[in-house]
Amino acid sequence: AGTTSADVEQGRVLCLLNMVTAEELLDNDEYEEIVEDVKEECSKYGHVLEMKVPRPSGGSRQSTGVGKIYVKYDNNESASKALRALAGRKFADRTVVVTFFGEEYFDVNAW
Amino acid sequence: PDGTKKRKKRNRWGDATDNKAAGLMNLPTAVLGNMTSEQLDAYTLHLRIEEISQKLRINDVVPADGDRSPSPPPQYDNFGRRVNTREYRYKKRLEEERHKLVEKAMKTIPGYHPPSDYRRPTKTQE
Repeated sequence: AGTTSADVEQGRVLCLLNMVTAEELLDNDEYEEIVEDVKEECSKYGHVLEMKVPRPSGGSRQSTGVGKIYVKYDNNESASKALRALAGRKFADRTVVVTFFGEEYFDVNAW
Repeated sequence: PDGTKKRKKRNRWGDATDNKAAGLMNLPTAVLGNMTSEQLDAYTLHLRIEEISQKLRINDVVPADGDRSPSPPPQYDNFGRRVNTREYRYKKRLEEERHKLVEKAMKTIPGYHPPSDYRRPTKTQE
């Protein structure tokens, strides 16, 4: 499950994919639980500075970023550790895909 | 969980070791290449379709205890056999999700081919 593709640049922000659906995010209780579950797990690998979980807004369910979870650590090592540990895990019966994400994009919500 | 509020589902995380479908998919889950967000979306779409296909092949369709939704009232056929069994319901749900995803993939990924064991549902609303 934890197989990797070729090496490229890293950083301290991760993007987690294939974990949540727009429908789940629309439900307030479910959204809160998801945030809680992800934050708790991600904190095992280092200090999480900030986490962003874009939610569907207005009429557009499938706006960019919806369905992805972004996590910013305070250093690169924690982010790498988390990437290796979380890739291939199960989250609500879906397989977690992880990649690095540009910090400059994370900071301005440019999904 | 502090007991004051009942959670809808237990903690959603599971181990990679009990992720049977992912083990069989043989697709990278740690993506270290520089992909554009479009490529990443296409890849995730492809991976989810493969994941569902694999789950259906090995009949790993019913979620673990804490992840299940409340069961609907039972329905029976003319012979008194239950029709909407748990397995049947989750299998159908996955098939429907896969169908939607395959349609999306055919529109957005150039040259996309659905998994060989994918069949379009017979009842389509045109």
